Amino acid sequence: MHKIISYKKLATPSIQDDVWQVIRSDKEQLSADLPDGKLIVPFTMWLTEQHNPKWTQRIKAGDIAVWFGVEDDVQLQADVIQQSLGVWPLIAIDFPIYRDGRGFSTAAILRKRFTADKEIRAIGDVLVDQLIQMARVGFDSFDLRADQSIEVGLAQFSIYHVSMQNDWRSARSQLKTVIS
Amino acid sequence: MYQYDAIDQQLVDERVNQFKDQVQRRIRDEIAEDDFKPLRLQNGLYMQRHAYMLRVAIPYGMLSSRQLRKLADISDRYDRGYGHFTTRQNIQFNWVTLEESPAILAELASVEMHAIQTSGNVVRNITSDPFAGVAKDEQVDPRPICELLRQWSTLHPEFAFLPRKFKIAINGADHDRAVILAHDVGLQLKKDASGEILVDVYVGGGLGRTPILGSLIKTDLPWAKLPSYLSAILRVYNRFGRRDNIYKARIKILVKALGPEEFTRQVEAQWQDWQDTSEDFLPTEWNRVAKYFSAPNYLKLAEITSSSLIALAPEKEQKSFGRWLTRNVKHHQQPGYASVTLSLKPHGTAAAGDASSLQMRQVADLADEYSFGELRVTHEQNLVLADVEQSRLFELYQKASEANLVIPNIGLLTDMIVCPGGDFCSLANAKSLPIASAIQERFDNLDYLFDLGEISLNISGCINSCGHHHIGNIGILGVDKDGSEWYQVTLGGAQGNQTSIGKVIGPSFGAEQMPDVISDVINVYVENREPSETFASTVSRIGITPFKERVYPVKNIVNEESTHA
Repeated sequence: MHKIISYKKLATPSIQDDVWQVIRSDKEQLSADLPDGKLIVPFTMWLTEQHNPKWTQRIKAGDIAVWFGVEDDVQLQADVIQQSLGVWPLIAIDFPIYRDGRGFSTAAILRKRFTADKEIRAIGDVLVDQLIQMARVGFDSFDLRADQSIEVGLAQFSIYHVSMQNDWRSARSQLKTVIS
Repeated sequence: MYQYDAIDQQLVDERVNQFKDQVQRRIRDEIAEDDFKPLRLQNGLYMQRHAYMLRVAIPYGMLSSRQLRKLADISDRYDRGYGHFTTRQNIQFNWVTLEESPAILAELASVEMHAIQTSGNVVRNITSDPFAGVAKDEQVDPRPICELLRQWSTLHPEFAFLPRKFKIAINGADHDRAVILAHDVGLQLKKDASGEILVDVYVGGGLGRTPILGSLIKTDLPWAKLPSYLSAILRVYNRFGRRDNIYKARIKILVKALGPEEFTRQVEAQWQDWQDTSEDFLPTEWNRVAKYFSAPNYLKLAEITSSSLIALAPEKEQKSFGRWLTRNVKHHQQPGYASVTLSLKPHGTAAAGDASSLQMRQVADLADEYSFGELRVTHEQNLVLADVEQSRLFELYQKASEANLVIPNIGLLTDMIVCPGGDFCSLANAKSLPIASAIQERFDNLDYLFDLGEISLNISGCINSCGHHHIGNIGILGVDKDGSEWYQVTLGGAQGNQTSIGKVIGPSFGAEQMPDVISDVINVYVENREPSETFASTVSRIGITPFKERVYPVKNIVNEESTHA
């Protein structure tokens, strides 16, 4: 089974089985029926299809999550996100290429404005060497690029014990709070 | 100067371990070069023309003698016995290997140094006034803010993959010695009536292909709000800066495209939306950092005039010592003290900003002996001993002479800012070092240089503008034309409070023409200047036309301009 890394806030990171399928393109899916199983669909598809009667049951069953692309403006879409948040089992953010850092701000904004605890998953070009930053801005699950070592990925979270900024997981280190 | 606490030290140590692991995975080919590149760049490791180059951060230009000795050791052990001080107050080693780079970083960490974010699309090393804390015209010592922001920007998780690099400069004096208008963010510090530090924020300045001066987008920001306000700027940039074209990816292009007003509106909206006082710097954090920047144990001394100092020197040394006092020694806040600039621009030898390991050790000794064991790197690529007793200036002058660091050319034509250029840099279109040498050779006469007075001449080997040619009174830019090296000349640039971008005077020249071209330009100045008028003032008064007419014989202008704009 496909594996992901799960790293909930205040929990220990671990390798988990993954049941979600990412639907990449909205165009080819629009006319066709939705595949079975749990699906992460593009946010743009959600915008057009969320009231489609064929979707109603699937949404209710918790089978439909969304992913945000780098061009999706989560601040402009605040109303939709507020209304839909309750029915999304998780939110994913896509990295089309690991160097495109927009997803970091997307995650930070989602955490700050919309949800403190819903799963936010990194998908796409997710490399082990960016997991630390991702975990700090608000991601708590990681679907690595196929060639990446999930064990090396898991080891990343124990590299640093101090930080210089407040982030989703913790406040910046102060002298009295250092743990080694 | 600042000393690491346990957190700072742990962070750089953990960073070294992280990078060691990344390099090992790279060597085992478990990371492809394309995926590894940003990882090494974020630790200052560039692939150059001949070898890897490691750029080491010198935060806001402050160095201790102990750190400088370590840099000397590193240059001997891992490089070729010299280092290059850069226009961003850093130092570069040109001949390191990938395999040894983690060991170098570990050595740096042992003296509270690192190479974190000296490259890559991140917030870079923060630069500031090399005379911070000692300059007579200072309103606010910028160093505590510099250090707080160094910490805040270090490994910031949200801004590790910006559209492009991001440079912050901070000034706290009346005179801008940090070129804040030519940075992605420039911060001008001041105090309100109650003594609280406020910040004016300029955004969207930069040199490079599209030189633009920054726009003032916020006045009177309380200093403690800098983390949230800078985050708002960076978040707008991270989300909406262009990523499709590397040449249009700097924040200046976004500010220009939106217009400063719309950009400001977006930043303010982002900032208001995010208001979270837990991000603010705390008074305890200020105190922890600021205590390291209190004044050293100055003696109570009387101010000594230059003429008395000169009179005390042996007669045969008086002329050269007097020149050195005029050009390389600066007034100090504290009576009886002065700040000394050691010139890394000797005529006819090394590249601008280069220092041998021997010189580094000599400077470290001078710093220990005369300036509380500290020194600063200037963006003009010289070194400063900031706290020297005036009565010991002659002694220092003699010792620094032995290290070949006393040429009295600070601010004069041969105090050129020069990037490493095509001799080292793989981005360069043309060599810059030989051009600098040829001009130095032409203007080797100190009497003449003194007569010419203040002139800045800046040379960049390509449009990335590391040599700051846009803001030189005379700027020289290396360009590639059909595979050969040519040089374009600009006039009218300036740094400081009159910061301005120079204008191109016309078609470019071959390398061998450059000394003559500069001579022509200088001659036009000499013929037109009014009594005690500087080069920059003459250029702004008479415009560039008289210079063009001298430099380009009429028929050449017609011939060339049709093919090369």
